[in-house]
Amino acid sequence: MGELLLFALFIPLVTGLLSMFQNKVITIKSVNLVGSSMTSSVLACIVFRISAQGAFLKGLLYVDSLSAVLLTVVAVLSLTSMLFSLSYMEKELVEGHITIKMLQRYYGLFNVFIFTMISVLVVENLGLMWVAVEATTLASALLVAFYFNQSALEAAWKYVMVCTVGICLALLGTILLYYAQVNVVGINVQALSWLELKTIAFKLDPTITKLAFIFILIGYGTKAGLAPMHTWLPDAHSQAPSPISGLLSGALLSCAIYAIVRNLIVVQAILNHEFLQYLLIGLALFSIGIAIPFILVQHDIKRLLAYSSVEHMGIILLGIGISTPLAIYGALLHVINHAIAKSTLFYLAGIITQEYKTKHIMRIRGLIRTMPLVGTLFIISILAITGTPPFSLFLSKFTIVWASFNDGRFWLGTGVLFLLAGIFAGMLYYCLEMVFGNPGHNISVGKVGKPALLSILFSIGLMIVTGLYVPLWLHTLLIKAASVIMGGD
Amino acid sequence: MNFLIIILLVTSLLLTRVSRLKTAVTIILIQSFMVALACGIDGLEAGAAHMYIAAILTAVIKVGLIPYALLNIVEKLQYEREDHPILNVNSSSVTACIAIVLAYGLIDQALPGANSRDALATALAMTLIGLLIIMTRRQAIMQIVGLITMENGIYLVGLSATKGLPLIIEMGIFFDVLVAVVVLVILTHRIKLSGMSTDISRLKKLKG
Repeated sequence: MGELLLFALFIPLVTGLLSMFQNKVITIKSVNLVGSSMTSSVLACIVFRISAQGAFLKGLLYVDSLSAVLLTVVAVLSLTSMLFSLSYMEKELVEGHITIKMLQRYYGLFNVFIFTMISVLVVENLGLMWVAVEATTLASALLVAFYFNQSALEAAWKYVMVCTVGICLALLGTILLYYAQVNVVGINVQALSWLELKTIAFKLDPTITKLAFIFILIGYGTKAGLAPMHTWLPDAHSQAPSPISGLLSGALLSCAIYAIVRNLIVVQAILNHEFLQYLLIGLALFSIGIAIPFILVQHDIKRLLAYSSVEHMGIILLGIGISTPLAIYGALLHVINHAIAKSTLFYLAGIITQEYKTKHIMRIRGLIRTMPLVGTLFIISILAITGTPPFSLFLSKFTIVWASFNDGRFWLGTGVLFLLAGIFAGMLYYCLEMVFGNPGHNISVGKVGKPALLSILFSIGLMIVTGLYVPLWLHTLLIKAASVIMGGD
Repeated sequence: MNFLIIILLVTSLLLTRVSRLKTAVTIILIQSFMVALACGIDGLEAGAAHMYIAAILTAVIKVGLIPYALLNIVEKLQYEREDHPILNVNSSSVTACIAIVLAYGLIDQALPGANSRDALATALAMTLIGLLIIMTRRQAIMQIVGLITMENGIYLVGLSATKGLPLIIEMGIFFDVLVAVVVLVILTHRIKLSGMSTDISRLKKLKG
């Protein structure tokens, strides 16, 4: 198990290093395909063993059911994103938008980015987790700025600045938490280990812990794109190459939520539950609400998807905030579902923008005529992300809303349903315009690459399958993870 | 120790007044040197070996590599100055003073009776002043300088509250800070290369 974890960390690094020194497109592609499939299989092995055997701890490495849920996300997304990159970046290369040097840099950074996300999930220490989260920002910043044009530079600058300042506040919070720990047990080797913190949590000073958690929530909340700290998100997600947008939106935001949850598990033992619930639910509702006007009046297809991510992070936080086992189960399921659905949408948006050579919604018309397959898949994915049955997102959103009614929060549940209806209307309106509108002029359309199609069909398949039936291992894993968040083992 | 604290506060206040980028980088160099010194002195008092390493790392990274990278890029930005910050220099200085008072108030509220009250308040004030500089300055380099001030402040909070973090975490933080500055310098360089001014407030294509 320890070896598997080390493999999961080293394979992306080695793959990244190898792709930096290849001069042939075909070698770069095969190296990355092999590397990425290996990473994903190793991660899948880890997830299966954790769901069968329970938590694993060795030195600074730690994986339990909660991290396993997130590792599932990274395993699926790193594979689909890599498959999609193969077609997408080759097309960019053929059309002369990028050079072979840039391709090497792309795959190098891509793998470092995967490495940093995996490290967030496998360390057993709040301090090291901070280091890893900051590293994800830095690895992805140069991917956001990949084309180095004016908009990309602006987006990347905003991304690094806002997220680094945010994450610095999280560091301040982490230091305060350490201070609280030192006051209880003195300086020892278990510094900031969350297993240790959890056992002594009830002895921590409540005032300092509260202050620490507020800083941590603001800090990682910035990274998770929660309103009002979400300002960097639409810029970064719309400017990054599409496979990266999918990773940022699906995997990275989920990792940031994971960081919040890890801290939450520690502090909930000592802090007033009502205070935490109001804090989280308030932030969640604000994130869902603020996305609506931007979704209803949007001109850029990728920004539309980015604002939808803000909304979905809100939904996930809502589930965690309600904090009944059912709600948390729904939230965790939603983490997985949102990651798969949103990344698929970004891949499709990538194909569409490549063919239409614009991100402007007004100029994308008649997808169903120009690209029947892509148009159909796009409609399916939009229906999935807005929570229509039979897709898995319906299941998880339904579970969260159901949990809120079950918990006696009638108005909360009703309000959220109304907000979701608004978002459904906005997303579907633009989607139908793009798919069924009149293309006006003729657009010559190339073929969609096989790997890209494979990754999209694979993701949509997953969404339908888990929408109809949650596999038993995943079900048990989610239940165990929910109990970890509730404060169990 | 008090002497160091005074110098740290003075450097932070000075930062609100500079308009030449090179001066700002020099000030940040002095500030980081003081932080390294504070770390070394604390290590000497506590007799903790890991703090020497932390002090040396601070010196190498924040006094050596980061200012070097920044000075390098500033050389290329000869015509760039922070002439019209969003909040003018006098108001910035006054706000910075308010931040210091606020920091003392906050520390007395949150951690009453902490034995290193002055150091903690200074650290918090530096964090706030760093944030102020990031928010009210237009030049890319000034924003980086603000970020480093903020980071120095947070590092100092850790140093005075808990004698620093465990070494492995601290090394990670140092590495991150270094990479962050390198990434920002690369971005600044690219902004310059694409023929734009490094005045960040002029980058406003992305909206809505």
